[in-house]
Amino acid sequence: MSWVFANISMLAHLTGQNAYLALVPVLIGLVISVPLGIVCARWSWLYSPVLSITSVLYALPALALFVVLIAYTGLTDTTVMIPLTVYTLAVLFPSVVDGLRSVPEPVRQAAVAMGFGTWRRLAFVELPIATPVVIAGLRIATVSSISLVSVGELIGIGGLGYLFEDGQQRDFTTEIVTGIVLIIVLALVADTVLVLARRWLTPWQRGAGGDSRLPILRATLRGRPGAGLT
Amino acid sequence: MITFESVTKRYPGGTVAVDELDLEVPAGQTMVLVGPSGCGKTTSLRMINRMVDPSSGRILIDGKDIQQSNPAILRRGIGYVIQQAGLFPHRTIVDNIATVPLLTGWTKQKARERARELMDLVGLDAQMARRYPHQLSGGQQQRVGVARALAADPPVLLMDEPFSAVDPIVRASLQDELLRLQAELHKTVVLVTHDIEEAIKVGDQVAIFRPGGKLVQVDTPQRLLAAPIDSYVEDFLGFDRGIRRLSFLAADTLDLDVDAIVGQDATAAAALAKARKAGAHWLLVIDSERLPLGWIAAGELDSTPADTRLADVPLTSDHGHTFRADTDSLRAALDATVLSTTGQAVSVDDHGRVVGVTSYDRLRAAIQKADDAARQAAAAAAGGVPAA
Ligand SMILES: Nc1ncnc2c1ncn2[C@@H]1O[C@H](COP(=O)(O)OP(=O)(O)OP(=O)(O)O)[C@@H](O)[C@H]1O
Ligand SMILES: [Mg+2]
Repeated sequence: MSWVFANISMLAHLTGQNAYLALVPVLIGLVISVPLGIVCARWSWLYSPVLSITSVLYALPALALFVVLIAYTGLTDTTVMIPLTVYTLAVLFPSVVDGLRSVPEPVRQAAVAMGFGTWRRLAFVELPIATPVVIAGLRIATVSSISLVSVGELIGIGGLGYLFEDGQQRDFTTEIVTGIVLIIVLALVADTVLVLARRWLTPWQRGAGGDSRLPILRATLRGRPGAGLT
Repeated sequence: MITFESVTKRYPGGTVAVDELDLEVPAGQTMVLVGPSGCGKTTSLRMINRMVDPSSGRILIDGKDIQQSNPAILRRGIGYVIQQAGLFPHRTIVDNIATVPLLTGWTKQKARERARELMDLVGLDAQMARRYPHQLSGGQQQRVGVARALAADPPVLLMDEPFSAVDPIVRASLQDELLRLQAELHKTVVLVTHDIEEAIKVGDQVAIFRPGGKLVQVDTPQRLLAAPIDSYVEDFLGFDRGIRRLSFLAADTLDLDVDAIVGQDATAAAALAKARKAGAHWLLVIDSERLPLGWIAAGELDSTPADTRLADVPLTSDHGHTFRADTDSLRAALDATVLSTTGQAVSVDDHGRVVGVTSYDRLRAAIQKADDAARQAAAAAAGGVPAA
């Protein structure tokens, strides 16, 4: 414990770096997934090939990606963030498509019949209705991304992953445990923020299908993304 | 007015959903499209707001070819109600109803004000305004669907099986509501159903389709019931169409019997004389307010001392079911007659006072009269001879 207090500013710095390295890819992944999902929901024959590509990318080992990327982006944050963005995309893209497909056909028809054009219908009807499903995907992506940042330690940029590397070299368990606890806390905080965002964005869902008290547990129990996709 | 001019819809794959449809829906009237599943009703309806475009032929609204209109703009002037209501789950009831006004650029406040007016119009409690659709019953959701379709006050209203997802009691009340609204608003309504009873109840005209997208007959409900064009339509109308069509004939054409009615203060002898003169087997006894008391068989009076007041003679039977000749249909009059032990039914006014009595013979004469009048009107219309 005294070690923790002695190193508090380093821990804060690493936590901040971990959050930054994890969340920027999630944001970028979201920005790519939404239009990609919209396109694939609209022209549904595109969905299956695009999903195959994102799933293959998801299966690529991070180490292999680093090796390839270092040649172009060097030992920078970007090299760590690109694989994380790819993973986020693989998780979020199917969520966006599922969310858009969750819009009931009569609702879509009613929107068309009332004179919504394609874009307005997307903005005011389909995306709002897809939001809960997209946020569910976002929670998994965010939590995974936060824990995956440690892999960046392979090239020396790994946020809290540094504590594992350093702790192992010095055979110092406290440091490793601290790293694990901080990653879990960070994930919990991020997940809670997302749950709150969902409640705020989807007021109609209150009382229809309750929120989990233990969001992170539920996200974990949902299983690995990509599983069950055929 | 909506006009279909030889409209055909062939879907990719070759299904002919609608085949050479010619149909005119007069402004302010309700046209019901009815027929078995897959006969092209929904397709016909959706061609009106261009959710489906015809393969050939034209559709005109008030003389204007809808193919020339921008679909989104066209649709904002056409209300659309579907079976599952299709409400937006993420919007409150008031915002669901305000959808089209908001789309057409009303301010939020004005649109919501209008939405609250409509909630009142369709019989929804104002308390529901802030609720979400999943917090309403199926019947209430359907009312919201109707209110939403009416929000921008479109001249045309399309309804695709609007009441088929609710139970029969709610359905009947929604149908009544539609009739009430229509009497007030006079929209041009096209309603699809596969329930012929519903068609006959709510339609000013009914168009009967058969599989393959062929229109078989368009007529007013009473003319359909009286003169189905072929055995297909006849079967479709069901077995008791002869009786059902009486719903459309007013009972005020009945020639009511007023001779077989006596006050309770009359003597048995006077009553008997009255019965003999009228050739009646039954006399209806009324009180001083003309309220009906019951029937006395003329035969009973033979054995009654001549100066007994009728009030002291036991009634043979109670007065049975009554009807209102001024407001009811011949079907109600027939029903009351069938239910009465004497084979005669009492017509009363709005205070329950006796106006007269009908019998099977009088009903038959009234039906005959109505049919003759209808035949003459049809002949005049077909001949194109303007009434002099
Ligand atoms: N989008 C489509 N593509 C191909 N065929 C279609 C399409 N929509 C409808 N059809 C076919 O066109 C025919 C008429 O369909 P439509 O939905 O108009 O029937 P309907 O009278 O409304 O039937 P129901 O009472 O079952 O609703 C059917 O044979 C149907 O299978
Ligand atoms: Mg249909």
